[in-house]
Amino acid sequence: MRLFYTKRGLLALLAFATIWFIILYYFVGSASAIVTSPTFENMASQLFGALGLSALLEWPVAEYAIYWLVAVYFFPSFALLVCSEQFCSDKQRGTLRFITLRSTRAELLLGRYLGQLLIMAILIMITSLATTVLASTRDIALLSASVQIGAKLTLTLLIVVMPFIALMSLLNTLVNSARLAIVYATLIFALGPLAIGIINAQFGHSLYLNFLIPGEQISSILSQKSLVISQYLLPFIQTSLLLLLSHFMLKRASL
Amino acid sequence: MSLIIDVQQASKHYGDKAALQNLTFSLEQGAPVALVGPNGAGKTTLFSLLCGYIQPSSGDIRILGHRPGSPALFGRLSALPQDAQFDPKFAIAKQINFYARLQGMSHKMAKYDTHRVLDMVGLADVANSQPNALSHGMRKRAAIAQAFLGSPEIVMLDEATAGLDPIHAREIRTIVAEHASSVNFILSSHDLTELERLCDQVLYLDKGQLTQHQAQDNKASVRYITLRMKQHHPELISTMLQISGVNQVSMSQDREYLLVISNEQGKGAIEAELIILLAQKNWPYAQITNGKTLENQLF
Repeated sequence: MRLFYTKRGLLALLAFATIWFIILYYFVGSASAIVTSPTFENMASQLFGALGLSALLEWPVAEYAIYWLVAVYFFPSFALLVCSEQFCSDKQRGTLRFITLRSTRAELLLGRYLGQLLIMAILIMITSLATTVLASTRDIALLSASVQIGAKLTLTLLIVVMPFIALMSLLNTLVNSARLAIVYATLIFALGPLAIGIINAQFGHSLYLNFLIPGEQISSILSQKSLVISQYLLPFIQTSLLLLLSHFMLKRASL
Repeated sequence: MSLIIDVQQASKHYGDKAALQNLTFSLEQGAPVALVGPNGAGKTTLFSLLCGYIQPSSGDIRILGHRPGSPALFGRLSALPQDAQFDPKFAIAKQINFYARLQGMSHKMAKYDTHRVLDMVGLADVANSQPNALSHGMRKRAAIAQAFLGSPEIVMLDEATAGLDPIHAREIRTIVAEHASSVNFILSSHDLTELERLCDQVLYLDKGQLTQHQAQDNKASVRYITLRMKQHHPELISTMLQISGVNQVSMSQDREYLLVISNEQGKGAIEAELIILLAQKNWPYAQITNGKTLENQLF
């Protein structure tokens, strides 16, 4: 609601639209040129090969290879920003006191989470559709392949952002402003891996603590060759754990 | 009479500071109940416990047979929480309408009820204004309006008239009085005259403890008359004692006297005698109250 009805939300949407116009127009739009031109082909395959992404070059729709690479990193970060305000300011302002006389805290948490997920789904779908349009205007024969791969990537991206939104739900139970939630999220992603590295070094072996951090699976799913299990299961488990923890925290919170 | 609120040994601690200590009381259906006490006595903490905003450190609280915050109380218990504010980004009517929808009303019903409650507090004209465009008093009235959505059985108003101008404070008192037969009100206020007008029963909280819990007692062998004078008259006490039936006269405050009347003596005649005597002496009075003022009962 806030995203579409408030000045701040509309500004965020405008920024989103501008960024994606640039990405689609300059990168995705010229993707086929980059990938198919003989001069770039060699370089691109070398670059993608070095990143272990040569599989992406085999995709029938070159636009989606670029789209995927950008989106898989863009949307999680964007989710952290857009979903930073779920109920922390309502808590600070006391608005939750009006709401919790009419709804349980669990309903509130889940409702706000699903609302944010819906917004992210809409935004992901819009960008994916735009990519389909770009690819099909280049070659209409690519339409069915575009729709297919677009749908698959939309779903995959949505699953990728799920734990990121859930992390912001958890931070919302702890802090009183969206800004502080973003600061905490930044600290988690900046210092989290460092702390895990130190802990692992202390114990001399991996404790798999890295699986606690949302987006852990991104680098392994980048080539889109990995097993379905690791691609879908980890974000689902992370999301469930984060939401359960948020529920526990919110239930005990003083409003 | 059925029990609406039952509190057993409820305590709330913040760190090692006790905000409420072993509170035990129960309230029955009926006339509005006043919650009185000095600043920091724990009134808002008690309200928050009853509304389920905070959990008691120990003890048990039941409202209409349910724990505070239970879904069974949605729409049955409503409140004006202290310091709770509306979202500044949406119009008042939109937010109240949303609360009505949350209470399970249909789209049409919610719209109707939003208009009804806003009209009740005199805010129908500014229903589509954002909270920031309204004055503090208007925002408070909007917050009171949301407490009357639907048909709640218990309405808790924490300092409902604080910060309101006299006209609107009076309107709120009228609303409470009008609804008192169908709704169980629990009111906290520092305006004792206001509570005296509205409430039969008083909960007095001090330092986290319930020190009094009684209905105003007018059935004892003695009764009281509170007399407030416009001017100070040194011989007033001795003059009043001449009226038969007046056992004792004391000055409770500046120009305010408390007359203790023996109940067996000629009932209403004492007031008549009192007024005649005041007229004879040409001493103008400001107010004659049957009974003790709430202030005199408590302090």
